[in-house]
Amino acid sequence: MEEKDWEVSSSSDNEAGFPNDDDEEFHSGGSVPKLQFRVGSSKARWIAELGMAEVEVKRGKLWTTTGIIRSGKTYCFIEEALYLSEIGELQILGHEDDLVIPLKDLYEKMAEEKSGCSWDNYEVYRYLKGLGYILGRNGISWTLKDAAITRPNGEEESACAGECLEDKDTVTKLLGDMQICDAKAVFDVYLPNSRFKKSSPGEPSFVACFSGDSPPSKEDIKVLQKRIAAPLMFCHVAQGRASFFSFSSIDLPVLP
Amino acid sequence: MLTKLAINESIKVILCVERLISMSPRWKWKGAEAKALAEPVSKTVSELQSSLAQTEASGFLSSCNVLLSVEPEQADLLDRCCFGRTVVSAEKDKRWIKLSFEEAFFLFYKLKCIKISLHGRSLENEVALWRSMRSFKTNFAISYKAYSHLRSKNWIVRSGLQYGVDFVVYRHHPSLVHSEYAVLVQSISGNDRLKVWSDIHCSVRLTGSVAKTLLVLYVNGNVNTENMNMPLCLKDYTVEEQTIRRWSPELSREDETRT
Repeated sequence: MEEKDWEVSSSSDNEAGFPNDDDEEFHSGGSVPKLQFRVGSSKARWIAELGMAEVEVKRGKLWTTTGIIRSGKTYCFIEEALYLSEIGELQILGHEDDLVIPLKDLYEKMAEEKSGCSWDNYEVYRYLKGLGYILGRNGISWTLKDAAITRPNGEEESACAGECLEDKDTVTKLLGDMQICDAKAVFDVYLPNSRFKKSSPGEPSFVACFSGDSPPSKEDIKVLQKRIAAPLMFCHVAQGRASFFSFSSIDLPVLP
Repeated sequence: MLTKLAINESIKVILCVERLISMSPRWKWKGAEAKALAEPVSKTVSELQSSLAQTEASGFLSSCNVLLSVEPEQADLLDRCCFGRTVVSAEKDKRWIKLSFEEAFFLFYKLKCIKISLHGRSLENEVALWRSMRSFKTNFAISYKAYSHLRSKNWIVRSGLQYGVDFVVYRHHPSLVHSEYAVLVQSISGNDRLKVWSDIHCSVRLTGSVAKTLLVLYVNGNVNTENMNMPLCLKDYTVEEQTIRRWSPELSREDETRT
């Protein structure tokens, strides 16, 4: 188990899971909790066409629960790259050179929301990762069985991987998204698990969904639930705080 | 199952029912559950029904409730299945019970065990009563559908006003068991609730603080305004139930390891 030598302050809950009032959040001295980061040791290269980073140097066990595997290589999404960079575990290198992309640029990339993850999504990702949960993008497998794919003309493997990356996944996603729905399933979330295996992750504990500005409509929930076997959890992010609500169909029992 | 029907007027009743984190009912004292099992609600309601019918119990309609006159034993039965509230009076041989519109209409229309008069005249048919109640209370149709849906499943249904909701439901008499659910009624055509996230936060938090679960009940009906003038429209409504719960990531981790 990897030792984490950093601390993150998380709001503790009272009263059946409700966060403390804002008043209690502010330390009287105005001091920020001391954060200690290990100097980043893993390295990944950002590939703009993919909107992902290809991992080149892996350090630590965190890679058992981060990144997807294609053709024997590990790739991470913007949220994974940004999170690991934030906590000092990963350095992202430019496509053309070996200059480290500063956090500022990564934040900008995230803000552009062109890589399949919105800022809201990222808030949830960061929050749950910090608590030890394992997150993957809904609809994207951690690893593909038929991993070895080569192109006959010897083109860069990363580009090929980029195509195949979305191959099966894209089709499924497209089919799934055919039904018009304002709500979106974004992350598969697994409970903290030191024995997590990408080759057999099992069913997620729940799928984190986002419905945007308004709570999900009953119809949207139905559409999503039809597609997804796991329980759905709808996330609402406001003031940098993430809340999770489940909307479950039940049948109140007929009493004697 | 819900499909988008060509609906002239679609009515959504949202019953927010809150429930405890634990799935089982919270009985209030040691023998409570056994007592509840021995005297099911349906049985008491049945007794009530025959008793009231026998004496031809009658009440009269006002703009906000129905005042029913009953015998002391009947008052006791009404209390045991939580219909109405007793009006304190000095009268010894009669009791006065204030019934909500939903309760009164249920006794009148569903159980057919009371008579109701308006302006001194006994209302023979349910249509007149239905129309009067609808004229006094907006969304009565939706509210009543929700009420009768729950009562038909033999749950005890009471006003949820003090919890900021429409109804609270109990598995049995409130003296035996804590209420598990809080009910919020919403109409799509009227003033909607739970339209914005802060409404969800508010309702879930409020009902959670009194240890109840939020359950959303959707009533869908293929009804046009004409039909709504008759209680027959009720049979065209369907009801779907949905709970809303808040999940806390900090409390739910198995905390095996953190990676």
